[in-house]
Amino acid sequence: MTFLGMPLLPSKRRGDLPGGQGNIIEAEAFPEVSHEHLSNQQLRNNIGHATSTIRSKRAEVVSELDDWEALRDAGEATKNEVMANLPEYLAQFEEAFTAAGGIIHWARDADEANAIVAELVEDNAPVLETGRREVIKVKSMATQEIGLNEHLEAEGIDAFETDLAELIVQLGEDKPSHILVPAIHRNRDEIREIFMDKMPDAGELTNEPAVLAEAARRHLRHKFLTTKVAISGANFGIAETGTLGVVESEGNGRMCLTLPETLITVMGIEKLLPRFADLEVFLQLLPRSSTGERMNPYTSFWTGRSDGDGPQNVHLVLLDNGRTRALADEHGRTALNCIRCSACMNVCPVYERTGGHAYGSTYPGPIGAILSPLLTGVEEQGNGSLPYASSLCGACYDVCPVKINIPEILVHLRGEDVKANHSPVSSQLDAALTGASWMMGDGKRMAAAEKGLPLAHKVTGGEQINALPGIAGAWTSSRDIPALPEKSFRQLWAEEEANDRDEEGQR
Amino acid sequence: MTDTAREEILARISEALGRRGGGEYVSSSPRTAVPGTGGTAHAESGGVASANTAATAADAGYHHEGTYTGEALVELLIDRLVDYRANVHRADGDPSATISELIGDHSSVVVPRGLDSSWLAGYSGGVRVDAPGEFLSVDELDAQGAVVTASAVAIAQTGTIVLDGSDECGRRAITLVPDHHVCIVRTDDIVDIVPEGISRLDAHAPLTFISGPSATSDIELSRVEGVHGPRTLDVIILNG
Repeated sequence: MTFLGMPLLPSKRRGDLPGGQGNIIEAEAFPEVSHEHLSNQQLRNNIGHATSTIRSKRAEVVSELDDWEALRDAGEATKNEVMANLPEYLAQFEEAFTAAGGIIHWARDADEANAIVAELVEDNAPVLETGRREVIKVKSMATQEIGLNEHLEAEGIDAFETDLAELIVQLGEDKPSHILVPAIHRNRDEIREIFMDKMPDAGELTNEPAVLAEAARRHLRHKFLTTKVAISGANFGIAETGTLGVVESEGNGRMCLTLPETLITVMGIEKLLPRFADLEVFLQLLPRSSTGERMNPYTSFWTGRSDGDGPQNVHLVLLDNGRTRALADEHGRTALNCIRCSACMNVCPVYERTGGHAYGSTYPGPIGAILSPLLTGVEEQGNGSLPYASSLCGACYDVCPVKINIPEILVHLRGEDVKANHSPVSSQLDAALTGASWMMGDGKRMAAAEKGLPLAHKVTGGEQINALPGIAGAWTSSRDIPALPEKSFRQLWAEEEANDRDEEGQR
Repeated sequence: MTDTAREEILARISEALGRRGGGEYVSSSPRTAVPGTGGTAHAESGGVASANTAATAADAGYHHEGTYTGEALVELLIDRLVDYRANVHRADGDPSATISELIGDHSSVVVPRGLDSSWLAGYSGGVRVDAPGEFLSVDELDAQGAVVTASAVAIAQTGTIVLDGSDECGRRAITLVPDHHVCIVRTDDIVDIVPEGISRLDAHAPLTFISGPSATSDIELSRVEGVHGPRTLDVIILNG
C-alpha cells in the first residue's frame, strides 16, 4: 500500500560528506527552467508519444509475470543488502576483479574520475594524424554525470558516442532528455537534418528510421573496427565474482566491450549485486521496466580479462561523486538502489509535460528529483527545487522495479530544502506553528481561544476572508478562507448536550 | 593517489552507515529480510562472506522453475524468437542441410574451433576456423559472410540465447562482426525461465545474451532491426 506524503522523523546527518559534482546540478529553480520547456509544443508531443508508448509496452510485459511483485520484493531486498554491507561487497568485488586480471581505480568525485580516465586513454590510445586521440563509448549514465566527454575533449581526446540516440544528441550538440531514449525530444525530420549536416559520408537520406539507423551503422562501423580504447558504464557489478555487465539493444555495446584492446568502465559504487545468481531477478526486472521487452537484444558479462577474447587491458573506475553523501541520508539512501530503468519517467505527469531538460541533471524525472539533490545536497544551486517537481501522485513508486518510495523521499527532501534554503520563512512559520501547538495542546487553552470566535465573526462581518497579512498572505494569495462561524464546535456541542439533558429530564 | 581515494571512500561509506564510533546502522526498511542471511542486513563487518555464498533468495516468493516442458517448451521458445524477429528452423539429429541452405550464398564463413565439422558438410564455400594461435583479425571477420555457432543455454520465456565463450560458441568477436549469425540450439539446452538459465551459467566465462537481432527504437520509438550487431539471426533448433 502506498502512503503518500507521510511526514518523517528529521534526518540525522552523519557528518557532512562531500557532495557530487558535474552534470547533476539544476542551474535555476525547476519552475523557472520548466516554464520555457512547457511552451515547446513539439517537445511535448514527442515526449507524450514516447512515454505513453513505453508505458503501455511495460504494462503488457509486466502483466505476463504472475510473480512480478515477488521479483520487486527480491530486488528491493537485494539492493538494501548491498547498501548495508557496501564496504564488504566493494572489497570482495575488488579482490575478484583484480584476481581476474582487471585493474581498479577509485575516484572520490567527477574531477578525479575524469583525470583517471584521461590518463588511461593517453597511455593506451595512439595519437592520430589529426593530432588527437579517439575513444568509442557505449551509453553510460555515470560518464554523463561526470561530464567525461567534455573533459576528454579539452585533453585532446575525441569520445564518440555509439548508441544511436546518444549519437543524435552528440551530433546535434544537444543534451539527453531521457535516460533510456535520450533523443526522444527529436523527431525523424530533425534527426535527418542533423545526420545530413554532421555526417560527411551520409549522402542523401530520407526520414525513414531504418534509413537513418543504416546511416549510423555505416558512420560508426569503421570506428568500431579500428579504435583501440573503449569506455563503458556498467549496469551491474557482481561482488562474488568480479563480473561486470552491460545491458543494451543495438550491439554498439558489444562492439565497445569486445573489439578494442583497452576497456575502461566507469561505475558508481552502488551498482553492485552480491551474487551472480541475483541476476535471475534483475535480468527480469530491468528489461521489462525499461524498454518494455521480455529481454533486451544484447547483454554482455565479462570478468576481468579472458585470454584471447575481448580487451586484454581492462580497467574499472569506482565512482563516489556524492553517493556516500546520499547514503548518509537514512531517509533518502534507497534512491541509490535505482537500476536506471526509467520507468518512473514514463509514468510521471510532470516529466511528461516538461521533458528531461527541465531537470538540469543527467538524472531527470522522479528519480532525478531525489537523486540529484541527494548527491549534491539541497543547498547546491537549484537542486533544492527539484523535490517540488512532483504532484506526489505515487505512480513512480508503483512502477519502480526495486520499490524506491520516491514520494516519501520527495517529501523528506522538501523538508531538507526548507531547513537549508528558506530559513526566514520557516522561522516565521515556525513561530506561528509553535503558538498553534501551545494553544491546541491543551483543551482549556483551545476553548479559551475559541471564545473569541463570535467577536471575530462580527469583526469580519460574516464574510469570507480573501487576504491575510504576513506569511499567511501566501496562503490566501490563491485561496479564500470561508466565513468564520458565530459559534465554535465546543459551544455547539455544549448546547447540544444541555438540550439532550433537558429532553431526558422531561421523559 | 587512488590508494588514498580508496581509503577515503571506504571511510565515507562507514561514516554514512553510522558505523564509526560504535554506532550501529539499522536498515531504513527493517521489514526487509535479506535472502540467505536469515535476517535484516546489519552492517557489522565480516558478515558478507556467509551472506553471499548462500543461494539467492531461495525462500523468496518468485518462481525458480518454469512450467513448460517438452514440445510445449520448444514451441514457447520459437514463439518468442519469432516475436523478436529471429528466423527459426528445426532439424533432427543432423542440421547440415539446414545450415548449408542458410549460408549457401556466402563465399566464406567463420566457425569456432569446437563446432562439429560435420555440420558444415553440405557447404561448399570457405570455412575459417577461429582457434588460439589462428584467431581471425577484425578485418578478416568483417570479410566473412556469416558465423555458425552452437549455444550454451536458451531461455524460452524471454526468447534468449546465451553464448558462453566455450569451444562451440567461440570468442565474442566472431558472433559480432559478421552480419549473419546462424546459431544452433539443442533442445536439451532449452529452459523455461530466467532463473533456470542463470543457474546453468558460469559467471567467469565471457557471456553474451542474445534476444533477437540487434535493434533500436531510438527514432520516434519505431523499431528498426539490425544496427551494429548481426542483422540476420537464424536459429536452428536441434532435436536430441
